[in-house]
Amino acid sequence: MSKGLEVLIIDDEEIVCKRLKPAIEKMGCTVETFLDPVSALRRIDEKEFDVVVTDVRMDEIDGIQVLEHARKKAEHTKVVVITGYAMMALAREAMQKGAFDFISKPFKPDDLRRVILRAAAELGTSLDYEVPAEDPDSK
Amino acid sequence: MTEHTPANHAGGQKELPTALSDHLERTREAEEVKKALLARPRLGLRVQLLLGFLVVFLFAVGIAAAIIVSIYRVEQKVKFLEVVNDYVLEIDQARRYEKNFFLYGTNLNDALEAAYKAKEILEENRQKISRIMGPDQWRRVHENIHGYEGLLEQLAGHDRNKGAVSDSVKKELELKVRKKGQRMVVLAQDLMRKEKRAIEAAIAGSRRIQSYSLVFLLLFMISTAYLISGNIVRSIVRFESYAERIAAGDFTPITPTRRYRDEFTNLGLAINHMMQELQKHEAMLVQAHKMRAIGTLTAGVAHELNNPLNNITITVHMLLEDFDELAREECKGMVEDVVREVDRAKKIVSNLLDFTRESETKLEPLDLDELVRCTLELAANQMKIAGIKAELHATENSPRILGDSQQLIQVFLNLILNAIAASSRGGKIQLLVHPADEPDNLSVKVIDYGTGIPKHIINRIFDPFFTTKEKGKGTGLGLSVSQGIIAKHGGRMLVDSREGQGSAFTVILPITTIT
Repeated sequence: MSKGLEVLIIDDEEIVCKRLKPAIEKMGCTVETFLDPVSALRRIDEKEFDVVVTDVRMDEIDGIQVLEHARKKAEHTKVVVITGYAMMALAREAMQKGAFDFISKPFKPDDLRRVILRAAAELGTSLDYEVPAEDPDSK
Repeated sequence: MTEHTPANHAGGQKELPTALSDHLERTREAEEVKKALLARPRLGLRVQLLLGFLVVFLFAVGIAAAIIVSIYRVEQKVKFLEVVNDYVLEIDQARRYEKNFFLYGTNLNDALEAAYKAKEILEENRQKISRIMGPDQWRRVHENIHGYEGLLEQLAGHDRNKGAVSDSVKKELELKVRKKGQRMVVLAQDLMRKEKRAIEAAIAGSRRIQSYSLVFLLLFMISTAYLISGNIVRSIVRFESYAERIAAGDFTPITPTRRYRDEFTNLGLAINHMMQELQKHEAMLVQAHKMRAIGTLTAGVAHELNNPLNNITITVHMLLEDFDELAREECKGMVEDVVREVDRAKKIVSNLLDFTRESETKLEPLDLDELVRCTLELAANQMKIAGIKAELHATENSPRILGDSQQLIQVFLNLILNAIAASSRGGKIQLLVHPADEPDNLSVKVIDYGTGIPKHIINRIFDPFFTTKEKGKGTGLGLSVSQGIIAKHGGRMLVDSREGQGSAFTVILPITTIT
């Protein structure tokens, strides 16, 4: 079994953090979650993460700032931006600023797992986890 | 946090029928007013004028008749003067012959004849003459002329029996004749004078009638003109006041104020109809503007809905995935999470739904700060998206105001959305609910620290269709409709803005004693 990825999840929705943590941990990753982006940034300063999943719209600091911060800290960090409805402009901005991918709310845990699998592949890490193929009806 | 729901909440199912009955009510009221306006007898302006002229004409006819009568009287008097003249002539004649007789002894019979004629005239015109000089005087005149006649006859008798009478008797008789004759002349002249004076009086009277009647006719015409034009002017003034109150937003139909109807009644009917249409259009405008605000809010709501929806999606998927491994307590916790998130989603939509609901205008006592808080909740998503914080400061236990909660929320929402649009990310807006400077009024201030309004357009911001937003973004109706709503509530809106520093909009509303 290969070594999993270090994943950081930032979302001010408690349930997102609470549920995504075990979901991603199942993939063999180490997951840290933060409700508060300020302390999340502090944590990024302390530690290099392989994948940072951040909500784009939060109160004090938005996802773009998190993206910029994480990219500055470590070039290889894959940043996945969670966007909401009618925020395609923000998503585009995020992609231009070097986000690995964006994912629109509402999403299923498997949607995120698929993105993380791709990130792992790019990072040269293979995760021992299989995500069922995307249900064509769900989109 | 207590959830405030606008007052129309309870009437959810009834809204369509009540809105419809509201409309029907208004239509029925309009019909009743129309019936009342038309029920009165018609007295058109043309008829009023004709009646006025007819009265003046009748008055003029009266004057003409009076003048004709007075002229006829003068004529009669002049004719009679000729008679009197004849009488005086006869008497003068008699006296001349009498003188001849005394001087030359001739013409005594001629004198007698003239005296007879004079007496005849006197007797023929007894009535008329008595009227001029009185019956006693007539009798005196008649006696006198009779005596004169008698004396002349005596003289004639003496003359026939020449020498039978002494000279002294003759002399005495002559003296008597002269005296009587003189007296007769004096009386005749008196009659003449009196008759002349009577004619003069009649002419003067006729002249007086003419000049007085001219003055009266003038006064009469002036008062008739005043009466008719007064009616017209009063109506015009009345309609002036109607126009003013309609401009101020009071659409109460015009009701009958007079006992008859005329062309102004038709004008009133037309204005009532116009007001009905105006009301309809105003309601449509308010509704259109509201729909626009709802459109703005919907985008925010859709965005905000994603959070609970996302939570639910993730939770149920994980529940499904781990169902067999999870402990019962954990499963229960996840289901509870779902229930909570569903409630959250419902709440996000419910405020908007309450506001969206179309309902009749309903005035009720309202807590202004409660209303502003409710509006803030409605705009909460917008503020979240725009990254703007709101502060609400309200005086505790403020008196209530009378108003329609939905319409007032519409006004505050418009001001808040404007303030959000003017502010930049991370900014704040302040809402102050305090007693206004003038007594018995409350004020709501919406303050932003955004772009501000340039001085040269600040006077136009309340104009309909005036907008600074780019084409297709703003209707230019927000402030205009808001001002209309506030004016209907008996309040007013003020603005104070400095370019680059921010704006403050103030809504002032009168408090109510109704509880």
